Amino acid sequence: MTNDSPILKPMWGTRSIIRSPLSVITDTWERRELVRNLIKRDLDTRYREPWLGYSWAVIEPTLLAIAYTFAFMILRGKSDPSYAIIVLIGVIGFQLFVKSFTDAVNTLSKNVNLFQFTRIPKALFSVSSMLTNLVLALVSLLALIPWFFILDLEFQAELLLIPLWLLFIGFSGWSLGVWLAPLALRIPDIVKLTQFITKIGFFLSPVMWTYEMLTKLVGDGPISILMHLNPVLVPITEMRDIILGTSSNVPPWGYLLCWILPMIFYLFGTMYFEAKAHKAVVAA
Amino acid sequence: MSNIVFRMDNTSLTYPQHRYEKKKGFDKTTIGPITLDLYQGEVLGVIGRNGSGKSTMVRMMAGVFPPDSGEIEYSGSISLLAGVGVGFNNLFTGLENTYLYGSLMGWSRKKIDGMLDDIIDFSELDNHFYRSFRTYSSGMKARLGISVATAFTPDILIIDEVLGVGDQSFKEKSQKRVREMIDKSGTVVIISHSAGLMTKLCDRIALMHEGKIVFVGDPTEAFIKYKDILDLRESDNSSE
Repeated sequence: MTNDSPILKPMWGTRSIIRSPLSVITDTWERRELVRNLIKRDLDTRYREPWLGYSWAVIEPTLLAIAYTFAFMILRGKSDPSYAIIVLIGVIGFQLFVKSFTDAVNTLSKNVNLFQFTRIPKALFSVSSMLTNLVLALVSLLALIPWFFILDLEFQAELLLIPLWLLFIGFSGWSLGVWLAPLALRIPDIVKLTQFITKIGFFLSPVMWTYEMLTKLVGDGPISILMHLNPVLVPITEMRDIILGTSSNVPPWGYLLCWILPMIFYLFGTMYFEAKAHKAVVAA
Repeated sequence: MSNIVFRMDNTSLTYPQHRYEKKKGFDKTTIGPITLDLYQGEVLGVIGRNGSGKSTMVRMMAGVFPPDSGEIEYSGSISLLAGVGVGFNNLFTGLENTYLYGSLMGWSRKKIDGMLDDIIDFSELDNHFYRSFRTYSSGMKARLGISVATAFTPDILIIDEVLGVGDQSFKEKSQKRVREMIDKSGTVVIISHSAGLMTKLCDRIALMHEGKIVFVGDPTEAFIKYKDILDLRESDNSSE
């Protein structure tokens, strides 16, 4: 060997599964150009073709909220002018959660061809999908503006917290879904199962009902504790309180519980994903 | 001998079995163990029958597939040129797809900006470059794919059977381009079934058979051994 021999570095030597939760963040930052392009790709795929383009991000939740409100009025036999906005916030939050969850579950199967040709941090694709869904949820918030005038609501500084709660919802959906991606690539039944879970999740999430209705129904017993494990319960309630200027009095343990599942899944889910995703792609 | 720029040491990868394969009692497919050094400035050819493990080995070399055991070490940048057009979006224009592909490869926007004129010239797509990818014919898609994929020259270039895309004139043009890349790149690994091209380009050839490298050395000798394997296979088939 001569003195100017190239220094060889290990190709996989520094890959540590324990560092995976941190690697997702650092990879996203380091490959932000790619993340930006993937978000653009995902948005264009959805909205470049339709004549109304990005307006669909506002139209879709609005139409859903109108339909749910109408159904609720028929069921309860009375109309509450603020109920439509309550449902609309629920729809925006729940859709963000479901889309981030299902996109994370399908991330490997959707991009497997690409993963077999390039060395690329695989989790980035699900992160970019989650961020795409977050952008769309933020655009959907425009549908709320008319309601501020109809219900004479105040534009206050607290509204700036809404994007943070949406970010938390997107993160929750992503973290709960990402660990399932390697399994979903090998066992297609996982995708079917997650579709079923999200359908059930609609009824267990505060889209058509409110935190107040829940506490009246179940009190603060074990069922209430279980319901607080639903990662969208507290964020949707908080967003409603901020917009309507109400207070649902979520107990401190409620805030703690809504963080528990997403954080556990984030820590262990990203490790599981890192450990299994490469092999799943080889097998596909 | 020149400096070693890449090393595979006892590297192996076993394909996970699907439920059906397990049920039928199929043997597991293992590639390796493979031990291989690449020297600075050399062109290594890889030949072998279909399914002998060539593509899996180069994917391990490029860091796309992590091995189950063994070590892989390298210096500089490695790029795998395979599956031209993978990663392109149908709704995007040629220009947008160039940026998308570049970011997938880890190139910065500035770097892509610098390569853009060359990509447009080489692809000969002219105004079509600014039109939607889905309006392209298969030949035009191939032109864009190879133009973008060959725009950047890494230190170690791995080419997996991508030289046969496009019409005859573009094939010749892309082969010329790859030869230029080979001249510029420090080290090249190339998979091809073309004996003429391989003996002309390669310093050494690795012959793969049933997931293992059975010979590495002189190109002419490698093709003689390859022919022996093919003949043996043919005589086995005819005796059955």
